[in-house]
Amino acid sequence: MLKIVFGDVENAVYHPPTYFDNRYEDEWITAPLSVKMIKDIDKSDVIGTHLIQSPVLGPISTKEISGGVKTLILMAFDRSGRIFNASSCGDNCAKWIAELGRMEDLTINLHHVMDFSSVPIFEAVMLNTGVTVHNYEEYLQEALKIKER
Amino acid sequence: MKGKYHIVVQNNKLRYELDIRRNITIIRGDSATGKTKLINLLEQASTLGESSGVEVFCQRPCRTLSGNDWNLILPNIHKHIIFLDEENKFVKSQEFAAKVQASDNYFVIITREDLPNLPYSVDEIYGIHTSGKYHNLKKTYNELYRIYSTESFSPKIRPESVVVEDSNSGYEFFSEICEKNGTACISAGGKSKLKTEINKLGKESVLVVADGAAIGSEMNELYQLMRSKPAVKCYLPESFEWIILKSGIIGGRIVQDILNHPEDFIESQDYLSWERFFTTLLTELTQNSYLKYHKNKLNKAYLHEKTKQSIIKVMEYINWNEQA
Repeated sequence: MLKIVFGDVENAVYHPPTYFDNRYEDEWITAPLSVKMIKDIDKSDVIGTHLIQSPVLGPISTKEISGGVKTLILMAFDRSGRIFNASSCGDNCAKWIAELGRMEDLTINLHHVMDFSSVPIFEAVMLNTGVTVHNYEEYLQEALKIKER
Repeated sequence: MKGKYHIVVQNNKLRYELDIRRNITIIRGDSATGKTKLINLLEQASTLGESSGVEVFCQRPCRTLSGNDWNLILPNIHKHIIFLDEENKFVKSQEFAAKVQASDNYFVIITREDLPNLPYSVDEIYGIHTSGKYHNLKKTYNELYRIYSTESFSPKIRPESVVVEDSNSGYEFFSEICEKNGTACISAGGKSKLKTEINKLGKESVLVVADGAAIGSEMNELYQLMRSKPAVKCYLPESFEWIILKSGIIGGRIVQDILNHPEDFIESQDYLSWERFFTTLLTELTQNSYLKYHKNKLNKAYLHEKTKQSIIKVMEYINWNEQA
């Protein structure tokens, strides 16, 4: 289940891309889920642990993938118990966040109201109020009630 | 600092072109559009200069700002265009907002956060898109696009209710028009309360009138709310005072020249956002006339039929259902 907490919280990583650069494990990059996310968001192909083929930049290192994808990979594979700031992700990452939340319990931190309208099946627990929302409309209304950002 | 600045940042694979015309510009949007890459290029150029291999063309020096000592560095930078990446949490602090106000620099901030402490314009919220390959087909060309385009908010509508951000002169003016044609007019009492007022309304056609010059921090949430209520439309002129100036009833050609390119007249250090400039301009221009303007209380001369119709005419996409 996806859990969302707005505003500053303990154990949160405000800028996940920096954390990723210093903490990622090689095997995360070639995992099928990461390969799919990198292809979808960055339009890039994973050639190997240390090499990504970008349509814009050509061959690049793992540290040059987008901040959004770095954050998604952390959400999927990091087991440190940290909560990652999903405001580092664009709205094109929303469907992957929802997907990761369906696969297992995932808590994300937001500092803005992320647009989940593109996600057809959306469910989340809003940790600031304890309310479970069952679609994007309910999420938006609940998010607007929460003052923390 | 005044003026509009064209910025080109490029290496042999990427080229970015941006036009910056106000003290605060926000860049956000989807992941993987090249926002951080732009910052990296600027950082390399400002650290190593030409030997970085990055070319930056602009009439003003461009640089990045980051780190815990930002507040020591910023007061020593003048007449620069300063870029800040999303890792800099301090951009949402009151301290940063105060420093921006006192600064003679322009700021380009990469963030998806709303930054309510900073009064930025709906017109200066951009995303980056790739518009294709450049010349030799090796270089990708990136440019800014406005996330909230004017077209999205300006179909010709006949509102059943009007929600005005303002509670002063602007509200009094719209109240008068609404009263004449039986439309409800509500003052939200501030931009942050617009969403609450919109949520209270049902499915009727609603027009939201707010100062575009400073409503940037509300736009993400307002836009999402509007999508869920298709009958809600926004009219976001720079400000009510801008509408009056635009109507041509005051100042003639000189005023229209200012309105055509305000960035060449507005000193960012004096006016944190443009609506403050338009208020000052209107107040000064009408000081000794029957149209003497007070922001807090509407001079009834603005409600005289001919004057009122001139002002209404500026809002060309709105059918006020009222005849002269």
